[in-house]
Amino acid sequence: MTMPEKIPVFLLSGFLGAGKSTLLNQLLEDPAFHDTAVVINEFGDVPVDHLLVRRGETTISQVSTGCLCCTGNTNISKTLFDLHFAGVYSATGKFSRVIVEMSGLGDPAPLVNALTKSQSVKRSELDKAINNIFYLAGFVTLYDVINGADTLDRHFEALKQIAFADKIVLSKTDLLDEETSEEDQKAISQGLSEINHAAEISDRTKVTLTDLFQPRSYSILQKDEDVLGWLALEEAISADPDHASHQENGEVTPSRHGTAIRTFSIVFDKPTELKRLHQFLTVLQTSAGARLLRVKGIVATKEAPDHPLVIHAVQHLIADPYRLDTWPDDDRRTRLVFITNGVEPKPVRELFSAIIENNRSSDSSLFQRLSRRVAGLFQPTDSKSKV
Amino acid sequence: MAKSFNPLAPRRNQFQAKSAEIKNKMRELLDLPSNTPISIAELACMDEGCPDLETVIGIMEPGKPITTYKVHLPISDIEIEKLKDVLIQ
Repeated sequence: MTMPEKIPVFLLSGFLGAGKSTLLNQLLEDPAFHDTAVVINEFGDVPVDHLLVRRGETTISQVSTGCLCCTGNTNISKTLFDLHFAGVYSATGKFSRVIVEMSGLGDPAPLVNALTKSQSVKRSELDKAINNIFYLAGFVTLYDVINGADTLDRHFEALKQIAFADKIVLSKTDLLDEETSEEDQKAISQGLSEINHAAEISDRTKVTLTDLFQPRSYSILQKDEDVLGWLALEEAISADPDHASHQENGEVTPSRHGTAIRTFSIVFDKPTELKRLHQFLTVLQTSAGARLLRVKGIVATKEAPDHPLVIHAVQHLIADPYRLDTWPDDDRRTRLVFITNGVEPKPVRELFSAIIENNRSSDSSLFQRLSRRVAGLFQPTDSKSKV
Repeated sequence: MAKSFNPLAPRRNQFQAKSAEIKNKMRELLDLPSNTPISIAELACMDEGCPDLETVIGIMEPGKPITTYKVHLPISDIEIEKLKDVLIQ
């Protein structure tokens, strides 16, 4: 009797706004990926990523609001097991490859541990079963050439995402100005090679998706010493109840993101005017700056209420919004998700309310006060609320 | 001619640089061989009154369980000369 081949699993990472969803959209339209199951891991309390990724007919998408890295091995194993179960018992759900889009704040260590630990390591029966069905076949990290250098300096997770990759893809190279020379671009690659000498580095505009997601052997032994250390330390930390943020099925998992990094959302029933939306985003971005890690969402506008507007903003960059042909689900409300570092939700909601709901955009003193509050020029409450 | 500064290129990473300093100091304090693996992670601290992020230092001596030390500060705020205090924990 021949054993069925294991199913390759690829991890797709990259800090917030690096272009993961854009890449997934391109991939789902490619016939070469019709047999691919996609797991979207989202960090936010109102899921919108799955709405912004157009689904192929044979693709299974699953969404979780929370980090797989924070909910530990059990969650990725359970998600993969559910996928496998659906594939076995569903006529349309069969797949031969899985791509897990990690949260932009995702720490790779727990996921890589879950997919690479040997059978000899003490682990759950579920993890063992998953290792008999799936294997880690590649780790692709997108690196945003516009914001990446600052992000690497500010966020430890971003450093790990680069260090764990076997393929690094430079994104947003099309946004580099004409003055940026070939030598400057080489310097970007050299800087990344100092963090991860073994990874292949390619330009998003030149690499093919087939190359990125061609099953290969992902070996942690080829990684730098830091990576091996992080994986070993991850095991030790997971066993330490002092770092518990959740307990699922008796398993303790550490929390990774400080309380300064938080997510919140705004849901609004009525269509809004485009010019007011633009004004809100501009004031927000000017006030919060690099602490506005990510804004994404789907917006009902008065100008075209049947064609929702998709918006993306990353730190100092607002991407050109685009319209969908139709609403992706029955919910036709505006849904905006914010991921911020040290920006409180209350002043952002008040700013939204002032501009969008109450049309008080001509009240300059109100604007000034709200902008200062978004910018953190006030004493924030010292809460330990969990994101 | 002086080489021009490229703001887009990753700089000497501050986390890597600080991690290297912490590792060297811990080896010195614990009198460990220079090739003893040490790993450093930054995690959220859930204790009231602590900063949001804490640093966990893992010492991986051959044949022994990993020993972890916690510093209730983000990596970037750790003062190298005060690392000896963590050994008293």
